[in-house]
This record gives sequence, C-alpha cells and structure tokens, in this order.
Amino acid sequence: MIKVLLVDDHPLVLEGLRGLMESEPGIEVVGTTTDGTRVADLARLHRPDVVVLDLELGATNGYDVLTRLRAEKVPARVLVLTAYGDGESLRAALEHHADGIALKTDSPARTIDAIRAVNAGVLVFPQAARRWMRKPAEHAVAGPSALSDREREVWGHLASGLSNAAIARKLGVSPSTVKFHTQNLFQKLGVGNRTAAAVEYEKQIPAAARGRRRD
Amino acid sequence: MSPASPSSSSRSRPAVASGRTRHASVAARGLLAAAERDLQQIILDIHDGPVQDIFGALSQIQMLRHRGEVQSSDALVLDRVAASLERALGEIRNFIGAFRPPEFERRPVGAILEQLVVQHESLTGATVDFTMTTPLPDQVPLSLKISLYRILQEALANATRHAGVTHFEVSARANRRHIVVQVRDRGKGFDVAKVLKKEIDVGVAGGHFGLRGMRDRVAIMNGKLSITSGRAGTIVTIRLPIS
Repeated sequence: MIKVLLVDDHPLVLEGLRGLMESEPGIEVVGTTTDGTRVADLARLHRPDVVVLDLELGATNGYDVLTRLRAEKVPARVLVLTAYGDGESLRAALEHHADGIALKTDSPARTIDAIRAVNAGVLVFPQAARRWMRKPAEHAVAGPSALSDREREVWGHLASGLSNAAIARKLGVSPSTVKFHTQNLFQKLGVGNRTAAAVEYEKQIPAAARGRRRD
Repeated sequence: MSPASPSSSSRSRPAVASGRTRHASVAARGLLAAAERDLQQIILDIHDGPVQDIFGALSQIQMLRHRGEVQSSDALVLDRVAASLERALGEIRNFIGAFRPPEFERRPVGAILEQLVVQHESLTGATVDFTMTTPLPDQVPLSLKISLYRILQEALANATRHAGVTHFEVSARANRRHIVVQVRDRGKGFDVAKVLKKEIDVGVAGGHFGLRGMRDRVAIMNGKLSITSGRAGTIVTIRLPIS
C-alpha cells in the first residue's frame, strides 16, 4: 500500500484527488493539508511514502516546504503537482530535489501513475529535462577546491587517523561542530565515510603540501 | 528577391540613432519588462482559477468511473465530459507553457535560453541541439534577456508550426559587444520576402505576426536579424548588442 500525503491549498483539488485515490487499489491517503507550514510535522506523524506537493500554497511557497523536508531528512518521495510545465518550473523542481513533477493540466489519472512511479524510485520528469538530471550530482561532488579552510583542516586531521573528539580538542571546538564539518566535507568530496575521505586525501593532496599544512 | 528563387533572405538594419529614436528605443525596452509582468499576472489568474477547478472536477469524474457505480448510459456522457475537460486543460497547458516568463532577473542568459530549448522539446516533441560556443556574459540588461528569449521562442515556434520542423540546432555565442544566437533547421524553408510582405498586409489579426514580431523586437534592441531560407532549410541569426 502506497501511503500518500496530499498538500494543496485548493479544496476542490484536495477533495477530488482524495476521492480518486481512495478508489484506486494500493493507494491510501494518510493525510491532507492546505497549510505548507504543517507538511514536515504531518510527514513525521503519518510517515507517507509519497508527498504530493502543490507549489502555490497561499503564503507559503511549495519549494520552501520541499527544502525543509529535504533538510530535515523526511524519508518520503516528493511529487510536485503544478499547472506549470515550462522550462523554468522543470528546472526549479530538479534543483529542489523533487522526485518528480505531475501537471494539473494533464489528466488526474497521470498524477496517479506518477505517484506509483516515484514510489518505485523512478524520477518522473519529461524526457527533455533529463539533460539537467546529472547536474545536481555534479554540483554535490564539488571537489577539494570547494572546501573551506576549516573543512580542509578537519580533512587533514581525519586523514591522519584522529577521531572527531581528538580533532575537536585540537581545534578547540565541540565534537558536534567537527561532525558538522565532516558531513559537509563528505558531501563536497562525494564520499560516504572517513576511510574514503582519507583515501581521497592521499590521492588529492601532494605529500609536500601535507607537510607544510601540518607545520 | 524573386519568390521563385531557391534561397531568400532578409536583413533588418539598426534604427538610425538620432536623439528621438534613442529615446523611443529606451522607452520600448522599458515596456518589454512591463509586458512580461502583465503576462505573468494573466497566467497566475488562469492558474488560480480555471486550472484548479477543471483538475478538481476531472478527478471527481474519474473517481465516479473507477467506482463503477455509474449506469452505462451515464458513463458515456461522463466520458465525453471528461474528454472535453482534458482538451481544455491541454489548451491551457500549451498556453501557459509557451507564455509563462522564466525568472529573467535571477537566471543568467545562457540558462534562460537552455530552459527555452527544454520547454520547446517538452511541449512539441521536437529535438533541439543546444550549444554555447563561447561562455555568455553573466551581467546583461533585463531587456536583452527578454528579447533574446522571445525572439528565439518565435523562431522555434514558427518553424515547428509552419514548416513542420522536428529537429533544430541552436547555438549561442558572445564577444565583448554582442550576443549572437543562431537557429538552424533542415525543414522545407519558405520565401522570406513573401512572408514578410504578407505579414505587413494582414497584420497581427491574420495570425502571422511571427517574423514581423521578431524583426520589431530586434529593432528595439538596435540589433540585426538575418533569415536565410531555401530548400535545404532555414538559418535565423539574431545579433543583439550587450549594452
């Protein structure tokens, strides 16, 4: 059963989609709201598989809601539901890490298809927008040149085998600050753990530069 | 230019830069941004009104059909109603898709052109190869972005509508003074002089304001438009000064 949270500030759309989904096998509407500020809380409460998110939510912008869901690591797929299928909208949806886009100017049956597809892990965007799909990943792996001085310092200590607590003592900051730096570091280097970050350090930083940095 | 010639072309010249025309041109550029704002508002109204209502109504019709509780005679009526509503949405989709302005102020000019290319592919099913042969400048006047966007849009739309073109090559480049965008297709081509003459005769009401609209927008920007068309296809070159 696919659990869906519906977010739309237009009552007729909410009512219509809810009715349609309830008549669909394998889809359950676990919540609806017209209020963008409540989406993150409702998502934590109802644990939907898919959030269907309108972009125009009165005072709130749907992209702000999406940014918050991603920042708070709410584990739901997000299908943007909008009337706008122009190039700007497609690009913005990808930039905000939506899992797909469904159009209110298409049949609602296509929204249902898109819900099933994003739930299965498929990114639902028109073929034409695929040229942008690789780009967010490229941006995410920004490489060593994107590191701040502090992150670079943490990287050096981490590569020499120090724990977060030891690095924190050395730099005179809290362990949670070091953890914050290491997470950013991993993201910018495109690695998943400390070992991979240390290997990357050996590869990317010449031995001579390492010596100077430690002095 | 003879209508029977295999290749025809047209080139618009920059306006004479007298004090009065300069003033008129500055005023016209200001109006470009105002027109885009009006368009944005119209599209927002269509979005907030008819789109929501039609989409909501269609959802309910589809729900009734899914439940299977509708008598067969009524089901046919409902299907016809649903089909009309879907057609209405389709028309709105094409209108919004084509006319909704991108974020001109936030996006650099290269991104705006690329978005237009994706949009054209997405709306028409055509393929457009887009290349920037040099980097385009980050800082350009708003009126230049709007003009390039709308002129390229018209060039793509015209070729798709009238010549059935399904494949385009679009290139963009810049030097210190100009941005140049070129659109090339291998469609059936057309007689540029004849079409331009016809457009002047019928005016906007005749529905063929494409080339004329492009030429007028280029003139406002003191740029150059060159269109060469023949049996091997059409090349449209738009050259606009940066400042």
